[in-house]
Amino acid sequence: MNDKLLEVKEVYKTFDRVVHALNGVSIEARENEIVGVVGENGAGKSTLMKILVGVYSPDKGEMYHKGKKVPFPRNPKEAARRGISIVYQENGVIPWLKVYQFLFLGHEDKYIKLMKLQMDKMKEQACGILEEFHVACNVEAFMHELPLSTQKMVEIARAILGVRLESEDEDTTPIIILDEPTSPLTDDECKELFRDLLKIKKNASFIFISHIIPEVMEYTDRVHVLRDGNLVAQYDFSREKMTEEDLFRAIVGRKSSEYISRLEDRGAPGEEVVLSAKNLTKSGHFYEVSFNLHKGTCMGFFGPAGSGKSQIIRTIAGLMSYDEGTLKAREQEFKPDELPHVRLARGIGYFSGETGKELFLNWSIAKNISIINMEKILGKLIPVIHFSAEKKMAKNIVQKLEIKAPSVGTDCYALSGGNKQKVSVGKWLERNPDILLLDDPTIGIDVGAREDIYEVLLEMKKNGISMILVSDEPKEYFILCDKIMFVMDGRIQKVLGPEEFRKVMST
Amino acid sequence: MNPVIIVFLALVVIFGSIYPGSFFSPINLKAILRQFVTLTLFALGPTFVVLTGRLDLSYVGIWMLGGVLVWLFKPILGLFSIIMIPIVGIATGLFIGVIQTKAKIPSFILTLSLVVTYTGLAALVAGGYPRAVDGYEFITAPLIPLIPTTFILSIPMIAAAIFLMKCTRICVYLNAIGSNEEGARLAGINVDKYKILAFLLSGVFTGVGAIILFQHLGGSGQVELKLNNIVWPLVAIVLGGTPLTGGSGGPQRTLLGAITFTIFYRGLYLSPLHPTMVTLLVGIVLIVSIIASARGLKGVTVT
Amino acid sequence: MIREKLMTKPNLSREWLRSNMNTVGPILFVIVVVAIFQLVNPSFLSYQGIITLIYAMSYFLIAACGLTFVIMTGSFDFSVPSMLKLSALICVLYIEKIGLLVIPLALVVCLVFGFINGLLLAKFKVPSFLATLGISIVLDGIAWYLSKGHLQIMHDEKFRSLTTTFIAGFPSILYWGMGVWIICTFLALATAFGRRTYAVGGNLEGAGLSDINVARHRIYVFMLSGFLSGLAGVLYMSQMGGGSVNIGADMAIPLFASVVAGGTALTGGVGGPHRTLMGVIIITWIQAGMSMLAIGNDIQMLTFGLIAIGMSIATIDRKRIKIVK
Repeated sequence: MNDKLLEVKEVYKTFDRVVHALNGVSIEARENEIVGVVGENGAGKSTLMKILVGVYSPDKGEMYHKGKKVPFPRNPKEAARRGISIVYQENGVIPWLKVYQFLFLGHEDKYIKLMKLQMDKMKEQACGILEEFHVACNVEAFMHELPLSTQKMVEIARAILGVRLESEDEDTTPIIILDEPTSPLTDDECKELFRDLLKIKKNASFIFISHIIPEVMEYTDRVHVLRDGNLVAQYDFSREKMTEEDLFRAIVGRKSSEYISRLEDRGAPGEEVVLSAKNLTKSGHFYEVSFNLHKGTCMGFFGPAGSGKSQIIRTIAGLMSYDEGTLKAREQEFKPDELPHVRLARGIGYFSGETGKELFLNWSIAKNISIINMEKILGKLIPVIHFSAEKKMAKNIVQKLEIKAPSVGTDCYALSGGNKQKVSVGKWLERNPDILLLDDPTIGIDVGAREDIYEVLLEMKKNGISMILVSDEPKEYFILCDKIMFVMDGRIQKVLGPEEFRKVMST
Repeated sequence: MNPVIIVFLALVVIFGSIYPGSFFSPINLKAILRQFVTLTLFALGPTFVVLTGRLDLSYVGIWMLGGVLVWLFKPILGLFSIIMIPIVGIATGLFIGVIQTKAKIPSFILTLSLVVTYTGLAALVAGGYPRAVDGYEFITAPLIPLIPTTFILSIPMIAAAIFLMKCTRICVYLNAIGSNEEGARLAGINVDKYKILAFLLSGVFTGVGAIILFQHLGGSGQVELKLNNIVWPLVAIVLGGTPLTGGSGGPQRTLLGAITFTIFYRGLYLSPLHPTMVTLLVGIVLIVSIIASARGLKGVTVT
Repeated sequence: MIREKLMTKPNLSREWLRSNMNTVGPILFVIVVVAIFQLVNPSFLSYQGIITLIYAMSYFLIAACGLTFVIMTGSFDFSVPSMLKLSALICVLYIEKIGLLVIPLALVVCLVFGFINGLLLAKFKVPSFLATLGISIVLDGIAWYLSKGHLQIMHDEKFRSLTTTFIAGFPSILYWGMGVWIICTFLALATAFGRRTYAVGGNLEGAGLSDINVARHRIYVFMLSGFLSGLAGVLYMSQMGGGSVNIGADMAIPLFASVVAGGTALTGGVGGPHRTLMGVIIITWIQAGMSMLAIGNDIQMLTFGLIAIGMSIATIDRKRIKIVK
């Protein structure tokens, strides 16, 4: 077993007194290893890393470097002096800087002589370090000209360089945190990146943050699993045999008792195919996705984050375009790069659980419901808004969904999370589209409101609205879906019925 | 090869061949240099701000208010009163920098409102009409034949700007902020500090440059706001190749833009086109160069 | 937290005042300012004084309404004064040749340029303040070219009577101004178009996800602004009876200040023409008052510049923007 390099114990962090990001998490990184930190969105990985590099300071906790207790770094420069540096998931690259400028960004003070920046020396050293890390590129090129995996490698080189330049101890092994490094990369680019990483493993230790299970299984030596701000499991791959499903369940963590029986009797699926796709492909995200959606049914795309499921639903919505394949609604084909409002006009509505995007928070409930139902409240002769009709429509929805608010004129920002979501659902209930895409519909809301929303969705399904669901809650798939497509690595691996799904998820 | 250089050479060739006599005449060449000086001294400062993706229109205001204050303080400070201009420049740069960064007001409207306010202040101080000031004629007194003295005096400013560009990390940081502000912050750069610095540099360069400009443009405190004074330096910056969204370019591009625009304008001036038509063409050039430089914008929300 | 606040009984008067400061503030301000001016010069609120105010305010209000719509969507329209000028000049230059047809001509020209503004923003991604700045230069150039810089006098009586006919004791331009203002308010508050405008300004992403064709709507908004600027120009020429390329000089900042002072924030999604009325009253009445007190143009400019900056700071919704350029 390798020596312990960096360790943090019992780290607590709360934001605004309400958001408990970390509840007593402890992790350790050892020499010459790649250790993974995995978890769903919101599990606390990002917060923990920002504490390690000094962007945040923890409310409680201890840090040990090579066994000695040390204070938490107060800023990134201090962290670098300790040997800790981070490569961010996005926004890390400055597109219009040259490679050598980017490599030394933030550390130029080491290269100033007589007020002048020693650019030649910088370029020379840049070549040196890139060679050391087997990165083939021109130091005078602009960052945005490099392929994405090379950009990532340059970022990693920069992180290591930063540690070398700042640290007081010549011998410090750099600890480089890689925050979801592969999200912008294609499969081939990933393979290249990891090939290069493995080559430099002996020079540095890596903390690899991800929620993409196959990668974690293949490239890390050990892994910590975070869930809802807690450390729930630790595995050492050299000692334990694990499958991807084991890891997935550790991350998602549901017990069989949480699968209640279905609320409604499943009606027979309609005959009519309302939406069909053949070989939909978007390079880097999903490949050869084909399905038929029948009227009055709900189809789910299920899989770990990074599997492509979110991209699939967003592409159908019109938020992304697809490269190949066909998408048809009742025999009429869509164009690959239409905007959402065009798809909506054709009957496909997109509902996102992110109320910040969906709702106009400084508008009243009534206005939020009416914005996609304008024709119902405009006068027949003169297209004027009939406020009484608008109010009536909103009151109807509020009643049906039991939305708790003083009146339909209340501004939405004043509502609780669950009620906001209900307003969102309500406007779609009123709109009654042919097809409704549900993208994480119940994210962040309490159980009571969730049940109410499920009821409404099931009612809508009964009335003939067809749905597609993408979510991080396996329970939702069981409750709502008639057919579940299991997505991994951008491809549909299996098609399951709800009962099969329940069996798979609860063993 | 920078495409603007090609445009510049093409313009010289075109106008040189159409109007060989007048284009290359000593009078025209002198006029070209004079206009270049005006454009450069106004546009160098704001270039630093544009690198960060923001706009600083205060240069005209600094020149006007500064000039009027020179007139006001002359009886007390004598020739030293010229110091009022850089003082106004520095104060303005600091003020705008802090307000823009902390109060998060769009730089365009902030600096434009400031220019209008300064115009009002200048008119107030001057009593409503321009005030000539004697004593600074040495700034424009001819030294070398054919070359305006102010051109020679601008060379140190240009050199300083290029030095900042090539030999310090300031421009690298400003470019980083303009290119990806969040990324620059994550890289550990004190983004707020450098944003304020950009405005401060703008104020300093404009303030010092306006010392030369004061006499160069007539030696009097001006009180009337002319739109061309605002727009032309902007055209110099954009034409030179520094996009208004920031992230690349710098003072050396502005110089190129200034000389190219000057050639363009002086060439058209020699033609039978009415001066206001020329101004119209300038407006079109501004729009076209903005469109051209905005080509690289993907997924950026523009309002 | 907020819900608890809604449940408990608030101290009505103070609470109500604080939350409605945005609307009540400007009204109080106007009352105070008018009172001061009236004290200094008793003829301020005389019949003649009020007529002067009406003349100053009405065409200005129309132009400001157009600008309001643009700012509601989160954009700028710097070309309003230039459109006003060109429209006015078109009327006076061609009235002899084509009579009252100059009016639709001027309006169409401005509509076209408004369309170009919108196109530059929506299709070519040119920031609106720069696109409209460039267009304003082009418009100025055209204005110069057509009028050769000379002062033009409107002789046509019919044209002039559009705004100077007295009805019920007030010049007809008052009714034009009020009429347009009412229509604009109606448009903003009671039509789908108005809702969409608030939507685009309030939550661009959300608007795109609703059935709003964002690009097209933005173009419409700029066309509306152009149209109203053109209308303001026509009425200006009718009221003033003449003008040159100096029309609309120094109008940009007071226009902007009146929209912002009325409560329409730069961030978009709030405010509206009904609020702009207050802003216009504040600005034009202060302007009139200052002229009456023989305060120079310079201080006036200074004041409006400060108001513009001040009101921008006050109304901007800082929670929504992370990076401001």
